[in-house]
Parts: sequence; C-alpha cells; structure tokens
Amino acid sequence: MSTNQYEFLQEDCAQSLGDDFGKLRALRDTRLLVTGGTGFVGSWITETIAFLNDRHHFGIHLTLLSSHASEFSSRAPHLAARHDVSLIEGDVRNLAEVPSDTDWIIHAAGSPDSRVHFSTPVRTIETIVLGTHAVLTAASRLSSLQRVLCLSSGLVCGPQQWDSAPLTESTYFGLDCNHLANLYVESKRAAEMITVACRSQFGLPVLTARLFTFVGPYQLLDRPWAINNFLSEALRGGPIRVQGSGDTVRSYMYGSDMAYWLLRLLVDGKIGGAYNVGSPTGTSLKNLAAKVAEHTSSRPIIELNTLPSGNIPSTRWLPDVSLAHADCGLGIRIELDQAIRRTIAWHSRY
Amino acid sequence: MSKVLVSDPTLRDGNHAVEHKLRVEMIAAYAAAADAAHVPIVEVGHGNGLAASSMQVGESLVSDREMLTVARKNLPHSKLGIHVMPGFATIERDLKPALDIGVDVVRVACHCSEADITQRHIAYVRERGKQVFGVLMMSHMLEPGRLAEEAMKMETYGAEAIILMDSAGAFLPADIAKRVRTLVQTLHIPVGFHAHNNLGMAIANSIAALESGATIVDGTARGFGAGAGNAQLEVLVAVIERMGYDTGIDLYKLLDAADFAEREMIPVIPTIKSTSIVSGLAGVFSGFAKHVDRVSLQFHVDPRDVFFELGRRGIVAGQEDLIIEVAQELSLATPKEKAECL
Amino acid sequence: MTAPQTRIPVAIIGTGNIGTDLLLKIQRSKYLECKLFVGRNLSSQGMSKAVTLGVPISDRSINAIVDAPHAYQIVFDATSARAHLQHWPLLQKLGVKVIDLTPSHVGKMCIPAVNIDKCLVEQNVNMVTCGGQASVPIAHVIGKTQKDVEYIEVVSSISSRSAGPATRINLDEYIYTTEAAIREFSGARRAKAILILNPASPCINMQTTIFAKVPEPRMDLLKAAVDSMVARIQTYVPGYQLLLGPIIEHDRIVVMVKTLGLGDYLPKYAGNLDIINCAAIAMAEAFAMNRMRIAAAQEASGV
Repeated sequence: MSTNQYEFLQEDCAQSLGDDFGKLRALRDTRLLVTGGTGFVGSWITETIAFLNDRHHFGIHLTLLSSHASEFSSRAPHLAARHDVSLIEGDVRNLAEVPSDTDWIIHAAGSPDSRVHFSTPVRTIETIVLGTHAVLTAASRLSSLQRVLCLSSGLVCGPQQWDSAPLTESTYFGLDCNHLANLYVESKRAAEMITVACRSQFGLPVLTARLFTFVGPYQLLDRPWAINNFLSEALRGGPIRVQGSGDTVRSYMYGSDMAYWLLRLLVDGKIGGAYNVGSPTGTSLKNLAAKVAEHTSSRPIIELNTLPSGNIPSTRWLPDVSLAHADCGLGIRIELDQAIRRTIAWHSRY
Repeated sequence: MSKVLVSDPTLRDGNHAVEHKLRVEMIAAYAAAADAAHVPIVEVGHGNGLAASSMQVGESLVSDREMLTVARKNLPHSKLGIHVMPGFATIERDLKPALDIGVDVVRVACHCSEADITQRHIAYVRERGKQVFGVLMMSHMLEPGRLAEEAMKMETYGAEAIILMDSAGAFLPADIAKRVRTLVQTLHIPVGFHAHNNLGMAIANSIAALESGATIVDGTARGFGAGAGNAQLEVLVAVIERMGYDTGIDLYKLLDAADFAEREMIPVIPTIKSTSIVSGLAGVFSGFAKHVDRVSLQFHVDPRDVFFELGRRGIVAGQEDLIIEVAQELSLATPKEKAECL
Repeated sequence: MTAPQTRIPVAIIGTGNIGTDLLLKIQRSKYLECKLFVGRNLSSQGMSKAVTLGVPISDRSINAIVDAPHAYQIVFDATSARAHLQHWPLLQKLGVKVIDLTPSHVGKMCIPAVNIDKCLVEQNVNMVTCGGQASVPIAHVIGKTQKDVEYIEVVSSISSRSAGPATRINLDEYIYTTEAAIREFSGARRAKAILILNPASPCINMQTTIFAKVPEPRMDLLKAAVDSMVARIQTYVPGYQLLLGPIIEHDRIVVMVKTLGLGDYLPKYAGNLDIINCAAIAMAEAFAMNRMRIAAAQEASGV
C-alpha cells in the first residue's frame, strides 16, 4: 500500500514539474531545511524532493524540523523511511540553531488552522512571531546559506472587497488589530516585518510567499474550510451541505503545483520580494460542491441554503499571481477538476 | 418574504417547569402535534440537556434514551433536536448514543464566555454528518464584541449557526438587538435567539432579534419553560407571520398543539412571579427558580435575597449547589449585614 | 555511624506553570531536592525561574534524565498524557518512582488522604484530577460510614482563568477519570462528575460539592468521619476547607468543600491545580520518608 501511495503522489509531482525540473538544478547536491516540515506544505515538498532525487538524481538532502516529527512516520511512512530525509523533533519558538551545512530554508512552521488560533492564541503568536525570529537569526549564522523562503498568508493584505480585482502583492486593505479574529493575520504581518528587519540588518537573502487556498492529499479534512467540509461529506456519502446560496468565491491550488512553485520561488524569486501562491481561477462554493459531487462515485446530493441565512454577505478571495508568472514563469499545471478527482481518490485509497 | 427557522424546545425547556418529570406519553403526544403543525425542529430532553439528569440540577423521570426514542417515533417529518452541555454530557457515553437514536440537530451549549469547551462536541456532530448549532448561554453577561469572539470560535469549530440564549430573561430589546447585529456582522453563519420571559420581554426581544438579522428563533407552547417561561410559541409565530416572516408552520395545528399542552401537559401556565422578576433583574439562570424556592424555604431566607446574591456573585448555569451555600450564609447573616450586601 | 539525613534527589519534566509550581514546593520540602528541571523550551519563564534558584535545567526533556540513570529517585511528569506515554517506558527501565500529573491513566490512582500507603510500592502513580483530589476523600468516607451507597455525584466549579486549553479540550476525559476514581474509592454503584467553568472576576476559588444517595443516612458517623478526613487533607493541602455539611437537603447527603491555592507559582485562585501539586508532593515525600526509613534500618542492621 505504501508503494502505491508513493507512486500516486509521484505522478502528481511529475505533472507539476513537467519538463521544467531542470529549472531547479541549483538544488542539486545541496541541503534543504523545511520548518513545520510535516504539515501539508512540508509533506508535498518532501514528495517533490523525492521525485527530483529518484527520477532525476538530484542528490538533495532534506531535513524536516517539526514539533510532530514522530507522527510523520505513521502518516507518511514511505517518506519518513527515506535515507535522504532527516527528521528533527523541535519547537521553532525556542530554536537555537539549524544544521550548520544548510543551504536552503523553507520556513513553513505555523498552523493555518483557525481553531488553534482561537483556542490557543498566545501559543499561535509565539510560534509565528518568535518562531520566525528564531529561524532567521539562526539562519544568519550559516556559512553556505543561499536563500530563505518564509511562508506567509494572502490574508495579510486584508479582506478583499466583493467587486475588487484579485489581490496583488501590493494591494492592502485595513485590519482591526484589537480583534481576536485577526490574530493569525497580524501575526503573519509581524513575521513579514521580521524578515524585512533580518534582510536589512543581517543582509539575509530572504523572500516571502503568501499562500492562499489549497487542496490535495495530506490536507487534514477536519480543518475548517469549505473544501474540506464538502470532501468529508462527499466521502461519507453526502449530502453535501452548502450554507447560504454558495456564491462565495475561492480558488484552489493542488499540492504538487504548490510545492513546485515554492521550490522555484526559493531558487529564482527576487530577494526581498513577496509572491502570491495560489490559483487565480475562482469558483463559487456552489460550483465547488457540484464538482466534488461529480467526482465522487456515490454521487452525493447537494443541499443549498440549509439554514435561512438572511443577509450573510458572500465573499471573494482570489490572488493575482502575475508576479510569480513574470519573475519565474510559473503557472497552473493541475486544474481544479483534476485536483478534486485526485484528492478524492487519495482519501478513498489511503 | 424572509424565511425564519423556528425551533420548539417545549419538551426540553418545559422540563425545567416540572422538575424534569415530563412523562413519556406527553412527549409522544406533543411531538406528534408539533410535527403535524410542521414545526421544523422539536427539541427534547432534560431541562439542562443531554446527560444532565443529576442531583445537581434535578433528576429526570424518564431516561434520555427513552425520551429521544419516543420522540423520534413521533416526529416523522420534523427534526429531532437536543441541547448538549460539555461538562455534563460526554461524546462517547452520551452524544454518540443520542445520534444513534436518530437525533438530527445538536445544539452544543456553554456559558457565553467559554466557547472553547465546545470544540470537540461540535466537531463530533459534524463528523457524524448531523446538523450542529453553537449556543451561548447567559448571553447578557458579555458585551457584544466579546460575544462575537466566542461565537467566531464556535463557527471555526464547525457550528452551522449560533444561538444566543437569554437564559436569565434579563434582556430588553435594545440589549439583544445590538448583540445580534454584532454577531451578524462578524459571522458567516446564521444567528438565532432563545428568549425567557422574566421581564415580560420574550416576544419583544425575539422580534428585536429578527429585525436585527437573526433568522432562527425559539418558542415554547404557552411559554412552558424555566422560570417565567419562554417566548410563547403560538403567539410568536402568529406575530412574525403577520410581520411578513415565513415560518412554514401551520397556525391552526400549532394552536391545537398549544391547546393540548395546556390541557394535558402543563400543570401551571407560566406567569411572571415575583421571584422571576427578581431573577431576571439579578441576571440569574431561570432554571434556578424551583431550587431557590425550595432551599430558601429550608433555610428560612427570602428567595429574592438569594437571587440577588447569586447575581452579585456571577453564578452561571449548572451551579445550583451554590444556592445552598448562599442560603446558609444569608440565614447566618445579621439584618445589618444583609442590608449591606444588597 | 549514621549518615546525615539528606534530601532525596528528584527531577521534574515539564517547565510550564504546573512544573514550576512543583519546583517551588520542592524547595520548601525537608525530604525532596530538585536536582534537574527539564522541558523542551529554554525560553520558558519556568526555566528562567529554575536558573535563579540554582536548579540545573535542560531542554532535552526526558533524554536528560535517561542520560543520568542513577541521579534521581523520583521523577514528576507535568507534561501531557501523550508525552507521558513516551516517557514512561524509559523511566520504567530506570527504576525511578514516577509521579504522573498528566491524565494518562498509566499508573495507580493516588489520592494521598485515602491510599498513600498502598501507593508506596507502585512505580508509577497517577494524580487523577482536581475534582478527584477534592472529592474522593469525602466520597470515600461516605462509602465507609454509610450502607448501600447507590450513587455519588461530584460537581466542581473552577474559575475560567484556572482552566487552560488542555483542560478545556479534555472535559470528557476529566469526567470519566473522576467518575472512575469515585467509584473505586467509595464503592458506590454509580458515579457522576460535572465540571463548571465560571468566568467571574475576581476569580472564584475551586468549589466542590459531593452529593450522595443513601437509603438510611447515618449523619453522626458521617460528620465525625468528614471532619477527620478534612483535617487529614489539610496536612498536605492547607487551603482545603469544609464549607458546609454534611447535611441532608432534598433527600440527599450534601457536603461542600472549597480549595484555596497556596499561590507558590500558580495564582491563589487556581486551587484546582494546586491540589494536584500538593497531593503529588505528599506522595513524593511519603516515598522519600519510606526510603529514608529503609536506609536507616539497613544502616542500623549493618547491611
């Protein structure tokens, strides 16, 4: 079964990288550290590194730092067992140092799960703010460091207006910093400021990726996002329940595309830059539910307006990714329908 | 026409009024009548919800299992709802069997400032594919902004709507209006309201909630519920239908159900007694009424004094044991000490 | 020649508020000396506190203890149930006595006022729950003095501020564990535990009510037994008070107790956390005194 899972995910990586794997050649025979390495991002980066090493003999050594390192072996045994992957159990909040031969860092530590943000806001802020500070100050002492990519969130730009264009990296709307609901966003903004300070004072070669919304294997379905609710309900046989009219618009990028983008930005993005990472193609939740139903063999029914919603406004949140395209030639290789199909297949099988 | 979802906890809140001794035949008959009237949700159980039967808040005559089984049999169309308080009800032992019996809607309730204790219960109901609302009790004790924070927590945990309860019957219409408005602005899920009539405001407060953007309201037959009772369901439905809201309920059949309840099920039609007024003013949980009456008699103290002291201490639902402590203290206090407290 | 009575060396895993509060209590102890304070976060305030007290620290957690296998006779685990499941096999091999303050259910349930002697032979003892520590002794005397104890119910109210995220996400476990403890130590046929969080400010103290359903209550016997049990608890939990009862109210036995915290590191209103720590110290000191007794006896007999 493990081998099948490996092959399944390698197919996705192959499609996302296509013939462009050569653009990542700067990673050959180097050492990459990923903090928060056993989450959704870390797992997909690991799959992609496995692809580059196995298929194209890149010889990358990957170190994953995580406070849940021991769970990785049960969640992804085919990855944990690899000799080119090292696991370090540790908490970024008090990280004192990183392996001294590290060439590249992707700093992905910090949970985007809003339940955690609400129930343990102090710990959330510590992980994001103190964690970023610890990782970057440790990075500043590395002899062979080439680049650090810090993962932020598209939320730092503030809430998108319904009728405004997709968010570019330089569109900003205001936020209330005295509101618990904005804890995660404000933490990410503070973390971005820390990267600016470290770049300026230490000359650290750091840049930022702002992540939007994703779908794919390794995403825990209990995370409170609409796509996960639809997938869970579909996998259980439905019905798929859509609150309200389902006009809210989101976009979803598949895990292997995300991993490819992050590695390309790490290698080729502009130092000091911030890049949106996500799919620019929006879909309404109503449509999303329909696609999930369509790709589920039991063909679950969809229930709209399960409760009277009064005037709950629909929202839109879409990234403008022309910068990533302009600077690195990045585009979407796995479209939404395939993304949903693959995700459902993976959950059904593994 | 705006759609409103009406939920009927006659067979749950009403249990407070009869010390949780509602009989199985009554549950069967009222449920059938409510179903015939197309009442969307019929909530059944001990006054404090699932697994609350205890010495602390009162022991039920009928087990949760029996109550829910007989209700389920008599609700061929309407949804069967339950009230669940973490700290009383556990997932494995209590919630799982209830869902196995066929409960459709679970309202997970907590004191309004403690939403994070509801996380696992809400998540479990979602995992089981049933409908779950979050309920914030004693919501007069928090101002709108903080209430919205707690409501947001429940939304992230997976609640599909948030119900504000005026458990003490302490609200005036403006109080609930501003809370509902704030929640409606902050949340992405519907907001509802559950009234108590201690200050004679249950209907007015329910209207204020709807006019401020709530789309879910509770009402009970003849107001059968804790303390001074709830918003009187048949009055509420009649009024909001006249105002232009669409409840989907059959008025005549609803009136029949209320008539049945009055004749067969409700020993004393709720009125606003002196102690109810005091408990509303003091902001004390309406479910305390019978306990305060009994304990005050035993310790020879004025129940009104007990209510004001409970309110002063900020006592929350489920803390009925403190009634004994307060009554004892008051019975030992000199008249001068008493005057200084109140 | 008798050696001077030195305190026995102990270690604490867990440098959060609970572990740090334990550390401060041990500083006062005549029988225990904390020789190592370990966790995973060097920047935690507990670690800084230990440094100012001159207590050695490590952020290598359990590994620091495993690396010094004979240095400690008792280890307190104030981390989490999940972490304890990883720590226990390692500690078991070392042969140290383990006092587990997590809800892991590994070791024997320990309520010092009731079964401290039986726990002396155990390698791992578990300190149950706050509600358990406050109510089980009373439930126990109800079980001993009354015939046919059908049902015991325990309701604890604690201040919201003394209930952290770990408590809040584990209410069900708290309920099951407390109920199991009540049944075990009282012999009651059925038990129910209820936990209420109260947000009032200033913070309320932990208050626990024990109800019992007994066909023919013997209140004189019960009153004497409760008074004596309360006095026993107060020897290791100075803030434990009998508030009311035992009385009969509404056909049930009612006893109400309040637990004020000592305020060593935890705030005074967190009596619920303090009672577990006090119980843990009482158990550890009992181990220590037992060890000293054995050592003295061996000296005396020339072993």
